[in-house]
Amino acid sequence: MRKLLRRTDIGIIIGCIFIFALFSLWNPQQWFDWGTISNIGQYTAILGLLAIGQTFVILIREIDLSVGSVYGIVGITFAGLENSNISVLLSFILAMLLALLIGLLNAALVIRGKLSSMIVTLGGLFFYRGLVFVTTHGGVTGVPQSARENWLAQLFGGHWLRIENGFLLLLLLGFLCAVTLYETRFGNHLLALGGDPASAESQGVPVNRVRTLAFCLCSVFAGLSAIVTLTNQPETSVSLGTGMELESIAAVVVGGTLLTGGRGTILGTILGAFFFTAVRAQMIALGAPPSWYISFVGIALLIVVTINTLLSKRLRSA
Amino acid sequence: MRTEIDGKTDQAIDSKKPLISIKNVSLSYGNFQALTDVSVDFYQGELVGLVGDNGAGKTTLIRIISGIIPPTYGEVYFDGERITKFHPKKAIDLGLECIQQTIGICDNLSVGRNYFLGREPIKRIFGLPFLDKKKIRETSAKVVHDFGLRDTVDVDDEIALLSGGEKQTFKIARAVTFRNRVIIMDEPTNHLSVRERAHVNELAVQLKRQGLLVIYITHDIFQIHRIADRIVILENGRKVTDVPRDAMNLENLEEIIRDGGRAPAKGVKSA
Repeated sequence: MRKLLRRTDIGIIIGCIFIFALFSLWNPQQWFDWGTISNIGQYTAILGLLAIGQTFVILIREIDLSVGSVYGIVGITFAGLENSNISVLLSFILAMLLALLIGLLNAALVIRGKLSSMIVTLGGLFFYRGLVFVTTHGGVTGVPQSARENWLAQLFGGHWLRIENGFLLLLLLGFLCAVTLYETRFGNHLLALGGDPASAESQGVPVNRVRTLAFCLCSVFAGLSAIVTLTNQPETSVSLGTGMELESIAAVVVGGTLLTGGRGTILGTILGAFFFTAVRAQMIALGAPPSWYISFVGIALLIVVTINTLLSKRLRSA
Repeated sequence: MRTEIDGKTDQAIDSKKPLISIKNVSLSYGNFQALTDVSVDFYQGELVGLVGDNGAGKTTLIRIISGIIPPTYGEVYFDGERITKFHPKKAIDLGLECIQQTIGICDNLSVGRNYFLGREPIKRIFGLPFLDKKKIRETSAKVVHDFGLRDTVDVDDEIALLSGGEKQTFKIARAVTFRNRVIIMDEPTNHLSVRERAHVNELAVQLKRQGLLVIYITHDIFQIHRIADRIVILENGRKVTDVPRDAMNLENLEEIIRDGGRAPAKGVKSA
């Protein structure tokens, strides 16, 4: 029991149980409707994938503000390639390579350039968004119907037994990431680097390799999230992913990962993404103006983080 | 004393050949000359006290030995071989571990994970490498027990729960059980209680008896005079004294440090 209460993600576990119970009692028809469930599943997957990538970066005391723009540019590159009759597989590979390249660039600037990741990725946020505007002249079309019927596109954007494949992918990758984080050498090095960089280095942890991998994972997950989005929905726009960087950080932090690094869970991050998504869906269903959602994210963030801090203080001192 | 170093028997001490040899080493940071023409040999199986005031160059010398920075001039030999590439990982691979007060363990990880940090044991499941958690738990539990830490210490707990002295003992235990040949202790007893300090010093002496080279850096001349075989004093980046402990008494030692090595006390032969 004490071990359970010591978890950094205990706040979001309780939060999710609470909203689940609340919506089940308040608005059961809407809440248990398949349309709602699959919507929430799909959007949880999109935000969750972004947030899992962000978790790796935050765990090593860095931050990636560029994920929203990376999500945008990778998605629009993918859609653009699809529209120029390039096979889905090749488009997918090229789009993911772009994501990987951006991750490598972020890591190189932070490590070799000795710049703060906040500055580097803030630059990325503007640069990649600008690049989308310049190259598309403001107008983009989504992935065409024919391409979305391709097996690979179906793998990311289709559904299985009425469950969106994106959501299944989130669960699968979430599981793999959790195993990587807690059961492998890389995971141990990542947590050590987040806990105390000087100590990790003094014990022979290859800190720069770990940092590079974390930034690459973050960009690649942002790219995957974009593919999941575009293979599922017919329309897109140049503003694809605007503001998602902050939402992903909010999901990570609400999920119990500390911005000071070294402590956090993948489960918490996924639940954090679910929490925001579920509340947004219910607010819309209950007729609240959609813009209220933004304020809600702010309030929820403060409440959950306050609870987490209080809990961990009490438990660590005990 | 329950300390035992598994598998490590007393090695024959070759007192002729130095394990680490520093020859005419100088190092400057920009205009600041941190070390000037320092030559010193360290032998296996001895406990050397490295003493000096703040800014004397002790830490710089240790940073060179542990591969963190290369010297501007001069040569460093390890076991007769000249070191040309200076890198912390290289020093670790050669069997040299530096125990520092503030770094070396990650508070957010468990005792077991800290023990194996950077050397995690792997077991393969379907060919994929996973942490061998059973080995991490069992080996670290044995070491924690052998080095006399509280029996209530659970190796799955975060290491932050240990006291300062326990953390220091843990670092020494880790350095020793990984079959290192050189242990550098940088102010290992700062902020420790009297009892913890005695325990750490006792461990240092034990290590030397096991045939390791122990380089012990401290301000505390009373402590080092009690346990060291040889005392090396640095002052303003120069080596001013290098004598066996028995060749000087505490007053000599105090005088040398106070006078900045300019006037070696009577009866002390300065090397």
